[in-house]
Amino acid sequence: MQKISPKNIAEAVYEATKEKAEEDLTAVLKRSARMLKGKRMLGQSSKVLNALQDIFDKKTNTVRMKVTTAKSMEHERRNKLENEIKEKYSARSIASEFFVQEELLGGAKIEIGEEVLDTTYKNKIYKLEKFLTK
Amino acid sequence: MSNHIVEILRKEIETFKADIKTEKVGHVLEVFDGIAKVSGLSDVKSSEMVTFGGGETGVALNLEEDTIGVIILSDFSKIKEGDEVKATGRILEVSVGNTIIGRVVNALGAEIDGKGVIKADKTYPIEKVAPGVITRLSVDQPVATGIKAIDAIIPIGRGQRELLIGDRQTGKTAIAIDTILNQKGQNMICVYVSIGQKDSKLRKIQTRLEEGGAMAYTIIVSAGSSEPAPLSYIAPYTGVSIAEYFMDQGKDVLIIYDDLSKHAVAYREISLLLRRPPGREAYPGDVFYLHSRLLERACRRNKEYGGGSITALPIIETQAGDISAYIPTNVISITDGQIFLETDLFYKGIRPAVNVGSSVSRVGSNAQIKAMKKVAGTLKLDLAQYRELEAFSQFGSDLDESTKKQLERGKRAVEILKQPQYSPMKTEHQVVVLYALTRGFMDDVPVEKIKEFEEGLISYSENNAKKFYKEVAEAKMWTDAGEEELKKAIGEFKTNFTNN
Repeated sequence: MQKISPKNIAEAVYEATKEKAEEDLTAVLKRSARMLKGKRMLGQSSKVLNALQDIFDKKTNTVRMKVTTAKSMEHERRNKLENEIKEKYSARSIASEFFVQEELLGGAKIEIGEEVLDTTYKNKIYKLEKFLTK
Repeated sequence: MSNHIVEILRKEIETFKADIKTEKVGHVLEVFDGIAKVSGLSDVKSSEMVTFGGGETGVALNLEEDTIGVIILSDFSKIKEGDEVKATGRILEVSVGNTIIGRVVNALGAEIDGKGVIKADKTYPIEKVAPGVITRLSVDQPVATGIKAIDAIIPIGRGQRELLIGDRQTGKTAIAIDTILNQKGQNMICVYVSIGQKDSKLRKIQTRLEEGGAMAYTIIVSAGSSEPAPLSYIAPYTGVSIAEYFMDQGKDVLIIYDDLSKHAVAYREISLLLRRPPGREAYPGDVFYLHSRLLERACRRNKEYGGGSITALPIIETQAGDISAYIPTNVISITDGQIFLETDLFYKGIRPAVNVGSSVSRVGSNAQIKAMKKVAGTLKLDLAQYRELEAFSQFGSDLDESTKKQLERGKRAVEILKQPQYSPMKTEHQVVVLYALTRGFMDDVPVEKIKEFEEGLISYSENNAKKFYKEVAEAKMWTDAGEEELKKAIGEFKTNFTNN
């Protein structure tokens, strides 16, 4: 028999929880946890959760964005950036996280899934270093 | 001076443009024993080169549902969990150029001999589909190894793949090195790929090649035993890519893989770490393809496709003479013949310890020069009969005259085929010596004096049978007049030799 992947489990859990009310939802989730235990896959629960989140995001057309800047971003700029990303990915909603990392010196690093747009000064300096030492 | 440097840097900075674009980035999930599991990079291709955050390179080998398995080609201790990984969109490449000749490079083509950076003309992908049938030409030009036992009995042609197989310490590398040394003036570029060898051994080989003036046409590719398995895995492909660069210029190239047993072991290590299912002797299922796709790249191309050839001499180390193990049988079936070296012969003092009975060259006889064919035609049969009679003669003392004669001829043939290391012999000299042997001129020379006779005959005939030498060197065959001259010279020398 084919090996069961966390993605398979996540898909099954999603299907089972679809259109379930509060009490039913809790019961299904409890049964899912028991199934994970029965299949000795509790160690992979974080992978299952990640896969579940991916499925949920896909179904609800949600984009997850992670923004890292050298200084904290103002509220207005955050909103502007979120709207632009929403438009670019034609997303219904956006879930964003903002982080501060001083060593980036300036600019911003925007991560959406596998895609990364790195406009930080640190990255530019790294590229300049590579260009000069080539 | 410092102003000048500043000026150059300023200009370079002015022209620099940081190309900012969206990139697909993966993240390291785990790193162990030269392998990294990476999440993301869903568009990466198999065998595509990837780069890690610190500039380290790797190759994507396993493409799984959510992760990819990457072999790391540099120091993996600097890579941490969570590090970024970027795909390059390119198959692993090696820098090549004419200045690489005479250099020692690592499995990635970077210099390791301390003689400065190698200026590359272009880059060649290390994995390439072997030339097709239409582009090929059959083997008909010889590769002179300078070793009598090989050139006479198991000849090798340009574009051939001849396996050197035997236990440890039987002289496999010695044959390969002698062959390289003998390529001086033969219009051949040599590539020696050292896989999983000790650095001291490699240094010894390099010194020997330098002393023999062979580094002028040789490149050494090394993946030492202290380096990670992924480098041993890619080293032969790097070597053949360098060889292809020269073949594309219409040149003949000789490539030696020393040795493919260690290459298979390195691949097994990688495959097991990547959790690929193990098969026979724990090797993965595609270990045959590993060697067949490498050795298929050895070929002789026809003139319309630029000519040139790659002759491959892979080496396989057997355990206790077991040639029926997995890797030896695989490589035997891929190659166009094998030279089998035996420990017993080696310790009997028969060196090179070639077992003539088990050795074969499937296509090489077409490449043998006519003169050599004529003198060595019956040598293999004579030797086989001698071995049979030798065993038989131990049971009884009364032997008939023809059997005795055959035994005596066999003893002398064995003695003649002995050859010390690092002393390859010119084809013309080999023809003269084998002519004297097979035509019976040595039958009454005592066995213990055969070596002395051989040396004397070569120097005497060189001065007294010039026509014969010239004919063999130029027309590859002698005329009746040339033969008469040689016969006379041998006769004269023999009289002098027996009188002294």
